[in-house]
Amino acid sequence: MIFPILKRLFMAVPVLLIVASLTFLLVRIVPGGPFDSEKSLPPEIVANLNAKYHLDKPVHEQYVLYIGRLCRGDLGVSYKYVNRTVNDILFDAFPVSCQLGFVALFLSVAFGVPLGAVAALGRGGRQDFLAMFVSTLGVSVPGFVIGAGLIYIFAIQLKLLPVGLWESPWHVILPAVTLAFSPGAYLARLTRASVLEIVEKDWVRTARSKGLSYQATVLRHILRNSLIPVVTVLGPLTAIVITGSFVVEYIYAIPGMGRFFITAVMNRDYDLILGTTLVFALLLVIANTFVDVAYQLLDPRMRMNAED
Amino acid sequence: MTLIVLFICTCFIQGGCTEDPSHLRKPYEDGVLRVNLGTEPPGLDWHTSTDSTSFDVVSNLMVGLTQYTNELEAKPACAASWEVLDGGKRYLFHLRRDVFWTDGKPVTAYDFEFAWRRLLAPETAAQYAFFLYDIVGARAFNTGESKDVNTVGLKALDPYTFEVKLAKPAAYFIYLTAFCPSFPQRKDIVERYKDRWTEPENLVTNGPFKLSRWQHEYKIELVANEKFFEGAPKLKRIKMFMVPEASTAFALYENNELDFVDNRSFSTPDVERFRHSPQYKNFPLLRAYYLAFNVSKKPFDNPDVRRAFALSIDRKVFPKILRRGERPTSSWIPPALGGGGSDSGLGFNPEEGRRLLARAGYPDGKGFPETKLLYPNREDVRLVVEATQDEIKRNLGVRVELVNQEWKVYLATTRKDPPQMFRDSWGADFPDPETFMNLFTSYNGNNHTRWHSADYDHLIEAAEGEQDRTKRAELYRRADVMLCREAVPIVPAYLATQNIMVKPWVKGIAINPLDFQFFKTVTVGDTAAGEVSTAP
Amino acid sequence: MSEKRKSALQRLSKIPTAMVGLFIILSICLVALLSGLGIELTPFAYDQTTTSYLAGPSLEHPMGTDELGRDLLSRVIYGARLSISIGLTTALTAFLIGSVYGAIAGFAGSKIDGLMMRGVDIAYSLPDLLVMILAGVLLGRGTTGILIALGLVSWMGTARLVRGQFLQLKNEEFIEAAYAQGQSSVNVILKHLLPNALGPIIVALTFTVPSAILSESTLSFIGLGLSPPACSWGTLASDGWRSLRAHPHLIFFPSLFIFLTVLSFNFLGDGLRDALDPRTRLDKFKGGSGH
Repeated sequence: MIFPILKRLFMAVPVLLIVASLTFLLVRIVPGGPFDSEKSLPPEIVANLNAKYHLDKPVHEQYVLYIGRLCRGDLGVSYKYVNRTVNDILFDAFPVSCQLGFVALFLSVAFGVPLGAVAALGRGGRQDFLAMFVSTLGVSVPGFVIGAGLIYIFAIQLKLLPVGLWESPWHVILPAVTLAFSPGAYLARLTRASVLEIVEKDWVRTARSKGLSYQATVLRHILRNSLIPVVTVLGPLTAIVITGSFVVEYIYAIPGMGRFFITAVMNRDYDLILGTTLVFALLLVIANTFVDVAYQLLDPRMRMNAED
Repeated sequence: MTLIVLFICTCFIQGGCTEDPSHLRKPYEDGVLRVNLGTEPPGLDWHTSTDSTSFDVVSNLMVGLTQYTNELEAKPACAASWEVLDGGKRYLFHLRRDVFWTDGKPVTAYDFEFAWRRLLAPETAAQYAFFLYDIVGARAFNTGESKDVNTVGLKALDPYTFEVKLAKPAAYFIYLTAFCPSFPQRKDIVERYKDRWTEPENLVTNGPFKLSRWQHEYKIELVANEKFFEGAPKLKRIKMFMVPEASTAFALYENNELDFVDNRSFSTPDVERFRHSPQYKNFPLLRAYYLAFNVSKKPFDNPDVRRAFALSIDRKVFPKILRRGERPTSSWIPPALGGGGSDSGLGFNPEEGRRLLARAGYPDGKGFPETKLLYPNREDVRLVVEATQDEIKRNLGVRVELVNQEWKVYLATTRKDPPQMFRDSWGADFPDPETFMNLFTSYNGNNHTRWHSADYDHLIEAAEGEQDRTKRAELYRRADVMLCREAVPIVPAYLATQNIMVKPWVKGIAINPLDFQFFKTVTVGDTAAGEVSTAP
Repeated sequence: MSEKRKSALQRLSKIPTAMVGLFIILSICLVALLSGLGIELTPFAYDQTTTSYLAGPSLEHPMGTDELGRDLLSRVIYGARLSISIGLTTALTAFLIGSVYGAIAGFAGSKIDGLMMRGVDIAYSLPDLLVMILAGVLLGRGTTGILIALGLVSWMGTARLVRGQFLQLKNEEFIEAAYAQGQSSVNVILKHLLPNALGPIIVALTFTVPSAILSESTLSFIGLGLSPPACSWGTLASDGWRSLRAHPHLIFFPSLFIFLTVLSFNFLGDGLRDALDPRTRLDKFKGGSGH
């Protein structure tokens, strides 16, 4: 069990390296540099700045320097947040996004999966239509509109929850709900499709014909087996959700990774862009590895073709 | 099942709220001011930071040789007095002996000497180093031409006397000593903590407040400095949040989670809604917006075409669409400054504009080449350029194509190769016409119009060295006429304003035209009790 | 083959939600098309001289006006054109890139397949927003820039899907039969593999359209959407966001149309999936259980 995990993680190293190289190149192709600002600087000062951050060297030398530092676990310094290393910034921001992300993930699974199962089991009926309507609503409205709606109802009109900021556990609720909407709806739809598929399988029918009750079949066979595709998407979903959503963090003024990422791109803060991208890619790899493990636990037959 | 889900959902939310204690409290805390910075200050090292957000924090933490009054006079601070010698080329500052750092050590001339040398040192890579370029040898030292720091004309003669020698007289020099980049620094602290000297546990300051906590991209907390030389401020604590989205920040204000908001936290419709509220105030700023021509590109190499465009824009439309009390302007020097206030520029006169355009060979805009107007991607700017496009179309019959670029790309484009027209803005660094007028000299790095005039350069240089106020104002006024009426490389559009909302329990908030926000005289509480309605 | 498709269409026509979705999509497309042909559908396109800045909905302006006094209904119709074409073009790009890439990988198999799938992994590991923002900045914020940006982040799913289908179908008897008849590989791919894999691909594409429309609105919200005066529902909604409290109509109508369109595409996609895959019938399973 341990060996395949290690192997997968090891296989991820070249992927991460290519991601780093691609991002490195991409951000430098884009016009505009980190020290362009409204009040343009005398060329001498720009030269001083570039020299300080080694941006005066040819791109390939910058690249070698960067990869060298990367291997030592040093993600570089931020040009915008003066005197702060990328490691510092990520160390502060990641836990915030992580907390928010896990609450959102919990909410989306807790609501999405049952909703999907309910819809599938009542297929074509009123509960199916209602459940699917609710979940389609979740994927049909842009996140910022949902956020606006929630703030308006719960914070401004009802004054039940804070408008924003990151002070107490109460402050987690609205952003987490906003963030959970889209993955929750997605999970509901996926669960529904997956349950419908399992229901058709011969062995389910066999179980039924053997006289197992409806509820028992549902619980013992269908749900468990239909969770497999759900678990598969949970990997990338986790990575996406816990690396932070710019829109949610921006609307609710939460100091998470998503916010740093977008501001870094806007500011051409090269190292910070690379740092956040790498963290995202790494989390994706780790999450996918976890998924593989979960896969094998849920369905021992999968061990045969775990490569895929 | 769906019902159960919904039920759980409601319970969850309901349960969350019944325990929320925020309703039981007063809507504010005595002596605590909550404001919104909008964004994270990139850094609190007043040498390397360049933006107004950082300066908003630093100007409450530190005082320099002089400090601004709300009327923007430079009044004594660390310096008890100063002498201007050698026809304006030598300044001698005499320091107070009762100004102390937060760790108890006195503020001395050596701290200024160290700080100014550090600002100029190439290794610091300070963007505002050019601020001190008027000092003898400063430019050469900053660019690395000279390695010897002693060639720079600044020296601590004794612990309480600081001497500065300028290369040529500069009437505005005293203002620079009130601005953040010129504040003193402690050699021992900077050297001991290196890159981390601005972190709350290391930072040593001399102003009305002390930095107590800094959660990056979220909140900065300042506490009162009991030993401040003017006496402890009335506030116990300032919480500066960083809420980037204006609508969120404004909702926080309405829900009594912020006590004071300004432009950063205001969306235009909210200004509209609260225009008549007693909590609303509006202040003029020294920040001007303008339309610029790239005079090296046809057909804008012809001054008649530029004048025609200037004449065709009715600037009254800007406050109508922006709705924050912007003041339309046709001259470049703001009215509050010497040389400003007179009507130096071209006003709205579409007939004359059409006549000039016809004289340039484009009657009714016929045959006018394809023209692009570049602007950065910001909401207010979009409205302004869309309205400008409409004015030009209606009054000259010329269709201008709008080109929108992301902020950094826009900056790079205006520097390298701007299209025929672009939108730009300028905020004053100090309350003197120099900060605006120097912009269009041939040697200024921010002059993207490609317009160069030796006459203009001479006028500006003469004004810089002129010690007599009236004569100086007249020189600047002549330059302004040249800029806005004769050569017209730019069309000034409007001057921005600062819009604020202040809760009734907050007293003493004052906004000056440079938009520095000093909180040392502000009080919170003791004036109002209980919930205050915030409805318009 | 065609028999199979016909019966699928028949089944589709019996799914009410899918038909409602289809109807809404077609009517929005029709309106967008008409306005694209230059037919003015509302009389008050741009009326800055009136005093009706930010007017609420009225008879004259059914959806109200915006901050420059422009009629919101006209803007929404104009936006429909861009939003719909952004959605459709992105789906098409995703289809073209994805199916070519997936087909090659699935058809070649083994080493090449493995390598190409690593490529997909890498593309997935780059955050969508990074790619979209950089592409948008690089290519400008015109419609083409946005389209390429959206295309760049949405082909991977189709590629995986096509590859999976190909791997599965490759070993089916009818493919082997085609080879036995001496048909070339290209012929086999185009005539046999692709048509048989088309069902799931079409279903996937139906979901690409709405997600592209949503992605575009998110880009607009960040401030990197289409550059004005071009407007899509996304730019309209995010502009409206800022005046949510004072002028809710500015966000409500564009969002409503985003919602309706995305909902319709989702209904249609669901319907298509069910129609193309008649195996999933719960009623059979439940039949006679007395539930």
